[in-house]
Amino acid sequence: MTPVLQTRGLTRRYGRTTAVAGVDLDVAPGEIFGLVGPNGAGKTTTLRMLATLLVPTAGDARIMGHSVRREPDEVRRLIGYMPDTFGVYDDMRVWEYLDFFARCHGIPVSRRRRLVGDLLELVDLAHKRDDYVEALSRGMQQRLCLAHALVHEPPLLLLDEPASGLDPRARVELRELLRELRSMGKTIVISSHILPELEELCTAVAIIDHGRLLASGRVDEIQGRFRRGTVARASVLGDAEALAAAARWFAEQPEATGVEILPDGRLELALRGDDDAAAALLARAVGAGLRVAAFAPAASDLEELFLQITEAAPPDAREEAVA
Amino acid sequence: MSTTIAPLPSGSGRRGPARALRAFATGISAVSVKELRGRMRGRRAFVIVTIYLLLLSAFAFGIYAYLRQQATIEAESMFRDGVVNGTAELALSADIGHAIFSGLLLVLTLMVLVLAPAFTTGAISLEREKQTIDLLVTTPLSTLGMVIGKLVSALSYVFLLILASVPLMAIVFVFGGVGPEDLLRAYAVLFATAFGMGAMGLFISALTRRTQTATVITLIVVLAITLGSAAVHEFWTVLSTETAKAQAGFIPVKRTDRAPVAILWLNPFVGDMDLICTTAPGGYDRDTCDYVASVTGTPFFSTPRSDCSDGRPCEQPAFGDAGGFAKRGFAVEPALAAEFPVGRGDEPVADDVAPQQQALPSFGFPRDTFWPQSAIAFVVVGIVLTLLSAQLVAPTRRLRLRRGTVPDGAAWGTPASPPTSDPPTVPGGPPRASADAPEPTDEVTP
Repeated sequence: MTPVLQTRGLTRRYGRTTAVAGVDLDVAPGEIFGLVGPNGAGKTTTLRMLATLLVPTAGDARIMGHSVRREPDEVRRLIGYMPDTFGVYDDMRVWEYLDFFARCHGIPVSRRRRLVGDLLELVDLAHKRDDYVEALSRGMQQRLCLAHALVHEPPLLLLDEPASGLDPRARVELRELLRELRSMGKTIVISSHILPELEELCTAVAIIDHGRLLASGRVDEIQGRFRRGTVARASVLGDAEALAAAARWFAEQPEATGVEILPDGRLELALRGDDDAAAALLARAVGAGLRVAAFAPAASDLEELFLQITEAAPPDAREEAVA
Repeated sequence: MSTTIAPLPSGSGRRGPARALRAFATGISAVSVKELRGRMRGRRAFVIVTIYLLLLSAFAFGIYAYLRQQATIEAESMFRDGVVNGTAELALSADIGHAIFSGLLLVLTLMVLVLAPAFTTGAISLEREKQTIDLLVTTPLSTLGMVIGKLVSALSYVFLLILASVPLMAIVFVFGGVGPEDLLRAYAVLFATAFGMGAMGLFISALTRRTQTATVITLIVVLAITLGSAAVHEFWTVLSTETAKAQAGFIPVKRTDRAPVAILWLNPFVGDMDLICTTAPGGYDRDTCDYVASVTGTPFFSTPRSDCSDGRPCEQPAFGDAGGFAKRGFAVEPALAAEFPVGRGDEPVADDVAPQQQALPSFGFPRDTFWPQSAIAFVVVGIVLTLLSAQLVAPTRRLRLRRGTVPDGAAWGTPASPPTSDPPTVPGGPPRASADAPEPTDEVTP
């Protein structure tokens, strides 16, 4: 399948600082592609270049074959862009806001009315149709901004930190909305500084830091590539003595590289090898008479992985990176 | 929700000038409709127009009442002295008409000078401040259309205020002295000024990041083109006059050099003076005519009224005191003027006037000597600044040298090679982003 979005050697410098240094990305149609990195990693700069708001210093990006350098007008018709910080106009009602952007995209008046209604329905703002935009809550403005990016039915959405500043419920709603959009056949590029937030949403992620691409691919692929092993937590039934015995037993196994008894009475096991090895270990543990009640990968695994990947970059370069 | 699923946006298949024109027209209509919706919402805009008209009427009535009172005092003294002068009342009527015309014109000019840039100074910097500009720029609107849309919406309100004054201005017809063509001239000056100053505010807004800065700069510019330009012009004239005297040495030649009139082109009050001067009863108003003549070098003493030839009946020459005509020494004696075409060679407009000096002497100030230049200057400045504003708003179409080049060897269509294959084991050793990254690392460290 031809990629919806491709970048090759995409670079942006501000004076002597390099915000984005040669990023190569490929986003296939129908993907929800996560752009992950700490603050100042170059995510926003990358998205702004894709949205034709910044001209790349070097390299190029193509959106459905159109270069952001040479054909910004074509590109603008193909993307819906939602900036990380955006304002709203004073003195404007919700429907007028969408009507304005629909008008900007040259949508005829006959279609506009229905389109605005449909979009408000989609982002669940139909009841706020005649309210002033500045009176909406942050989450509602966020959804309205997303709706504005959809007026011209773009095949590609570029969303810069759409979940920032939202409460957990609004985040869940946003996630649902993005899934719905994906089911409509849209390709979505979404940036975030929190990898776990994107874990269950994205079909692929790219981790960038200091303007450089550190890893890209499916989340589990990256996990497999970067992780030397898994961290598993096991609960063993019995008293403290049984727990200590279990710890000793695990420590003797070839797969285990470290065993620790957590304060809550569980065991944390650092394991070598993949999930098959972990399964084999569990089978042997049960076979050895250990009363294992739970055995699962640690939940914070992904977060640690993210820190592990991004912290490995040189600290002196971090200060120069610009958002 | 089926309407939101479409493979491509409509209109993406069209290319070339037709689409560019459409983006341009859409820009104007979309932006101006949006702006006007905000500006005209509720009763505020119309209440302002009403208050403005009431104030303007009060001002016009004040002029009328004052002149009327003066005339009554004068007439009483005449009756007391036993002088019966039938022309006194006639002259008064034309005087009142002229005074109301002059007063309203100056007030309207002041309003345009303040309001036109005030409505546009926030046009673009506010979008930047409120971070709405990114949303606007990522639409396929042409930036020129967008900028013109902003200008149209801001100016339409100023134009509304100008046009609302027309019925009030028409009162001058009751008093006589000022004709409809004079009003047309006056409104031409006002509209040109509004356009030029609106574009000025827009340009300053596009140039600055903050509205506060834009407002201050606009205020300075307005002061500079009014008070500043007049001061500079006067200063220049004084300096060059001294030089001319020094060069003349002992030869007793009276010559006065003039500063370039272009300095005053963007000063709308000088254009007003030109209009006030030529509409004065008797075709001459000492204060304004003298200034306009000294500025443009129009030797009105010996020049026929330019509109005598185009069917307009020439008014009878009014015999004022002769001292007023030759007061400031700008009017070179005709014979001398032939010998010393002082300060006239550098000036195309004055060249046109020069042959007329040999024509039959007539009284009354020549029309259209200054204000058309001023109006054209405002329109030209307005167009140029609008185009520049559009360039400043466009993020990618700015006139710039291309520094970066697109690598031709880039493998479009094939998936990018995975950037890293090794896990970052050593904290000191960063994972190299990709082996084929075009940036050497020493570029990154300052």
